[in-house]
Amino acid sequence: MTIRSEPLIGVARPARRRPASLAAWLDRESVFSWLMMALPLLFLAALVGYPFCYGILLSLMNRPVAQPGTFVGLQNFITDFHDPVFWRVAVNTFVYTGVATLLKMVGGLCLALAMNQNFRMKNIVRALLLLPFIVPTVLSTVAWMWMLDPAFSVVNRLLIGLGMPRPGPSWLGNPTLAMISIIVINTWRGLPFYGITLLAGLQTVPPELYEAATIDGASGWQRFRYVTLPLLQPIILIVTLFSVIFTFADFQLVYVLTHGGPQNATQLFATYAFDIGMGAGQLGLGASVALMMLPALALLIVALTLYMRRSG
Amino acid sequence: MSSASRRDFLKIGVAGAGAAALMPTAGRAAGKSITMLHESSFIPAFDAYMKNTIAAAYQKATGVEVIYETTSVGSLPTRVSTITETGSGADVTMDILLTPFLFDEKFEDLTDIADEVGKKQGGWYDVAKEAAVVNGKWKALPFSNIGQLMNWRTDWFKEVGVTKFPDTWEELYEVGKKLKAKGHPFGFELGHGFGDNHGWMYPLLWSYGGHEVEADGKTVSIDSAETAKAIDFCRKFFQDTMLEDCLGWTDVSNNKAWMSEQISCTNNAESILYIAKRDFPEIGKVTDQAMNPEGPKGRFHFMNSISHSVFSFSPVKQEAKEFLRWLMTTNALGDWYNSADSYYQPLLHAYDNAPMWDVEPRNRPYRDALATAHLPGWPAPASPKLAQSVARYVVVDMFAKAASGAKTPEVIKTAEAQLKGIYQA
Repeated sequence: MTIRSEPLIGVARPARRRPASLAAWLDRESVFSWLMMALPLLFLAALVGYPFCYGILLSLMNRPVAQPGTFVGLQNFITDFHDPVFWRVAVNTFVYTGVATLLKMVGGLCLALAMNQNFRMKNIVRALLLLPFIVPTVLSTVAWMWMLDPAFSVVNRLLIGLGMPRPGPSWLGNPTLAMISIIVINTWRGLPFYGITLLAGLQTVPPELYEAATIDGASGWQRFRYVTLPLLQPIILIVTLFSVIFTFADFQLVYVLTHGGPQNATQLFATYAFDIGMGAGQLGLGASVALMMLPALALLIVALTLYMRRSG
Repeated sequence: MSSASRRDFLKIGVAGAGAAALMPTAGRAAGKSITMLHESSFIPAFDAYMKNTIAAAYQKATGVEVIYETTSVGSLPTRVSTITETGSGADVTMDILLTPFLFDEKFEDLTDIADEVGKKQGGWYDVAKEAAVVNGKWKALPFSNIGQLMNWRTDWFKEVGVTKFPDTWEELYEVGKKLKAKGHPFGFELGHGFGDNHGWMYPLLWSYGGHEVEADGKTVSIDSAETAKAIDFCRKFFQDTMLEDCLGWTDVSNNKAWMSEQISCTNNAESILYIAKRDFPEIGKVTDQAMNPEGPKGRFHFMNSISHSVFSFSPVKQEAKEFLRWLMTTNALGDWYNSADSYYQPLLHAYDNAPMWDVEPRNRPYRDALATAHLPGWPAPASPKLAQSVARYVVVDMFAKAASGAKTPEVIKTAEAQLKGIYQA
């Protein structure tokens, strides 16, 4: 009787049980997971969500710097569409992102495959590979600026040595060469990111699969095509997604090297938005140019996510 | 470490943080400190002189501390935007070119100080008013022009028989052809820099009679026979006298090309001679400077205006104004100009024959150019719309496209479409 009464007394005193139930409530996975998520979510809301929403609001306003804004609906976007430079900028950004991403993807894969082999000083070489990615963009871009200056360029010196007339190509003065130059520099800078991430992916491929394929008589190419590539695919997609976002919104490289010149040949969405928003003080119009990056990126993200889910 | 000492440490830390948070507020409330924002000068002695000498002298005289804060070259507009948007960060700012017209609503009216300074210092140059008066009020106190002039190699010009800088654009073109043939091309910036591109292209346009907008600031007038003539000249000038690389140049490029002896003539500020004398004395000896050549409609120069404004939200705006009044009416001003040779050209007639012009006589054309200098967009008054045209490189790209081969009517049409989008929006 007394033994049974104890829990009954306990039930009659809910105050005593409360701490236990709070602990239990906190221990519930649905609560605990949200608790853990709260801080990052708060951060995201403050540092990404707020600027993003403010950006959208700005793009719908005529908002000169240091003045109160007036709501103008989609007028800024209409102005953009009538601006001949805007379309040039759009084409530039797509070409820059498309070509640079493709080069980084192919180059990065080759790099990862090479780094996955056994050779002497493998670890040092792997660490050194990361250098272009580690060096601050502004610094490495200044180094490129010297390398692309016709008077000091190692490339031009080489070409002149091979018989090209002086002073050699004008890498940043010729509109086409300027675009090629920024694509090459972006590829150089982004390659290690691809290379190292894909290398990590390569190392997770079980060696037994290669052994089995070899026993079945698969050639080197077939092992790559039917074993390596399918297993790497999810990683390639993720890296590509990140890379496209970074490249599409690239700013530093162009700002330091050409400032969008010559004649807007290397002007990208980010640099053009900066010129209009900060240079000309038209925050609303600048925001509208920057926001034009969103639809293309959103489509890409949705498409890649759907693709990954389907193949997953 | 014992828990007691940890607690002590915490106490000290909290007390220190509290004091640090309170101190600037207390200082500012008492009106004892003014923050003056400036872009880093190409002449390091100029910044050092304000920091070490002028600020100290002012504090000694009045008890008010002047904190002189420098920001890297090119970043000032962004800093000023941030400060006006957030309403804090500095009390006085240096203005470059069109800043007073973009931020006038957040700048104090300095008309009374400008009048006083003008009276005491021999009167303002006309272009000073063009650069600082917004809707009838002085929203900035003009400090100087950083003029853009012709920099030329006297030894190479002599090789083709020229000992005096050519007087007209056509004469300069003829000399340039000969010099390019001898391996000494010209190098004028046609890319997306901040100053060395606009610095010669607007004067070129004006000297042929062209302008982007009428004096009313609304009617776009770029499509004219005069503009076409200026563009045709620019095309042949670039193609027959310059390096192809000029099309992609930014502001550092012509300095680099000058010091590496790639070019025989460019358009730049006085810093090119200053750096050459300091770091490459042999090049310094054969570097000279001249006013821009004349075109069919006259001779013009670019006003790369530097001025100072007081933020209207500053809690010490009165003290800030008094500091500017003191700076602009005492000997401190002349001393500050002297610290930078004549990189900063005063806009007050009292300095027309100041000793600063005797230090380096080759800099005198910068003073003489002030009478024919204008802000871009002239003859229209400066405005936020003009700031858009400049930031979008409308005039620069119009010339640059023609230089790389595009047809004149085509480049004018594009520029006109852009300008109409800006001025008639």
